[in-house]
Amino acid sequence: MRKAIIGAVLVVMAGLLVGAQEEIVAGFIYVGPIGDLGWTYAHDYARRLVDEEFDWLTTMYVESVAEGQEGAIIDRLVAQGCNVIFTTSFGFMDGTIEAAARHPDVIFGHCSGFKRAPNSMSYMADFYQVYYLNGLMAGALTETGKVGYVGAFPIPELKRHINAFTIGVKEVNPEAEVHVRWIYSWYDPGAAKEATEALIAEGCDVFAFTEDSPTVIQVAAEHALPSFAHYSPMLEFAPEYVVSGQLVHWEAIYRDFLLKVHQGIYTTTNLQHVDYWWTLPQGAVELGADFGVAINPVWEDELKAYVIQHPVFGDISVYDLVFIRLSQFADPGITFDPFQGPLYDRKGNLVVPEGMWLSYESLITMEWAVDGVVGPWPGEPEG
Amino acid sequence: MDWESWVVSTLNRALAYGTPLLWGTLGEIYAERAGVVNLGVEGMMILGAFSAFAVAQSVGDPWLGLLAAAVVGAGAALIHALFTVTLRANQYVSGLALTIFGLGFSGLLGARWVGIPLANPLPKLTVPGLSQLPVLGPALFQNQSYLTYIGLFLAVVLWLVLYKTRWGIVIRSVGESPATADALGVNVFLVRYLCLAFGGAMAGVAGGFLSVEYRPAWTEGMTAGTGWIVIALTIFAAWNPLRAVWGVLLFSGLYHLAYRLQAWFPPEFLKLMPYAFAILVLAIAGLRGARQLAPGALGIPYTRGEK
Repeated sequence: MRKAIIGAVLVVMAGLLVGAQEEIVAGFIYVGPIGDLGWTYAHDYARRLVDEEFDWLTTMYVESVAEGQEGAIIDRLVAQGCNVIFTTSFGFMDGTIEAAARHPDVIFGHCSGFKRAPNSMSYMADFYQVYYLNGLMAGALTETGKVGYVGAFPIPELKRHINAFTIGVKEVNPEAEVHVRWIYSWYDPGAAKEATEALIAEGCDVFAFTEDSPTVIQVAAEHALPSFAHYSPMLEFAPEYVVSGQLVHWEAIYRDFLLKVHQGIYTTTNLQHVDYWWTLPQGAVELGADFGVAINPVWEDELKAYVIQHPVFGDISVYDLVFIRLSQFADPGITFDPFQGPLYDRKGNLVVPEGMWLSYESLITMEWAVDGVVGPWPGEPEG
Repeated sequence: MDWESWVVSTLNRALAYGTPLLWGTLGEIYAERAGVVNLGVEGMMILGAFSAFAVAQSVGDPWLGLLAAAVVGAGAALIHALFTVTLRANQYVSGLALTIFGLGFSGLLGARWVGIPLANPLPKLTVPGLSQLPVLGPALFQNQSYLTYIGLFLAVVLWLVLYKTRWGIVIRSVGESPATADALGVNVFLVRYLCLAFGGAMAGVAGGFLSVEYRPAWTEGMTAGTGWIVIALTIFAAWNPLRAVWGVLLFSGLYHLAYRLQAWFPPEFLKLMPYAFAILVLAIAGLRGARQLAPGALGIPYTRGEK
């Protein structure tokens, strides 16, 4: 007991010495409006959750900040008393690192990038495992053998997601293809709608997407076709047609990080190597179109009726396969990854040899398209 | 790949995607014909989108939502009229301010409506009989919007009014030479106010179409630049309501085709295509003297007693 008390005292003192933050004022800088029902909406939702949870925390935010403007906004937030600042767009990366040098007493977190500093960490909640699970279901549900995918920009993040999704599709339906269309915008309901209509005209009958609005779901539902939600709870936009989807829990990361700053574990000098890359096991992402609903009950029977001969599990329904994979992902001793060899790109090159997995580095710089992806792929490696 | 699917999807989508563009462009044509540029189309559209959604969701009737959008759009345009017609402020600055105001204000008011699908979107229309025609049936008469047909009808009516009636002569003369019109006893200010309000109502409905039918939900900034395309199409159409129909259909058809052609052509290039095409046509029109097609007093505030 005495040891514990001394230990506790030491921890508190150490905390004080290295600068534990008693009171945290956290500023959030968003690239979009908080009402986008997508990326920024999800970050702001998480901000409100942690703000309510911790009484030593106050938060403020600035929305719709153009990339390149983040430096001035950071200076303003520091002047307003923020001692922790989160910047939530890839394009804010350099501005954040520069600001971190300008304000050595402030702690920074930059989302979705790869640059860090002694007082600036990086963080990301990634969906590739969840996309793979959605792919399993999409592969079971397509009747035409063509699954449609509307993507925002052809960047590694989306390529990783589309590849993971396609690997899932092909695992249960080797003949199926994933047709991709790019809209070159994170948020453009008109473009998302017309891209979906184009895919429907070409025979696609199941849909997934990466774009910040529920447009694809609504268009698919108009044609009575199933789809997978992205980012925010979108089940009620088409309760009969949304099968599942990907949900984010940024609060998992914000909670963990802010708590550690509060306790003095993270300081303005030790963040150089702090990189949150959180996925299913850490609870930063969730499978489903609404919290707590992994698979829409409307589609349960169809997924249970689709039985495949799986090389590992034998005769198994896709419904059961999804939950087996889900539990494998949640296992801290990782036993499965979608990107496990042998994997071929769509030009026939062996990208991941038998028995190998992809490294974190390979995942976040992914440019190749897995076998089964159909459509344009800007930046595809030659050969 | 069969040619039928290409014709059907291109025509069908051109009509659907083009509907808000057509409404907005017809409205802007009337405003500019009376001599006032309104760069606030995007702002009026987003205010229309928001009010249409809020009213449709609260009252339960999407048509009432569209009515609200028209009223709000007209109201927003009247602010622009107050500044540019009565106070003679710079039309471009005032219009830009209206756009910025509309985007911000609708975002502020709309926060609590985000994430809710519209319970009762505007019903789609399948024309009995005609929809059974081969190719043209599915292309033009299946699952279309009432607003698409109303918009096409309005284009014809507005063309007739502009070129075949006394009202049309009054509007055009106010835009060409307000001093002359004034000397002839026309109330220049009233005509400009009315034309701007009409343009605003049309832009409001265009925005409302987006939130109660095209994609029945409200999200901040959901017009995503459509209002700017309207302004380009107004010039493209040479301020003529019938030419607006062709301009809109051409642009929207290309816009849809860009997504179908992605399988064969670089998507960056295709994304550019409708815009590049519009610029090309404008350039050609410019070479052939389209400048004279613009209303003579466009963009110039009118002051009584000055020449």
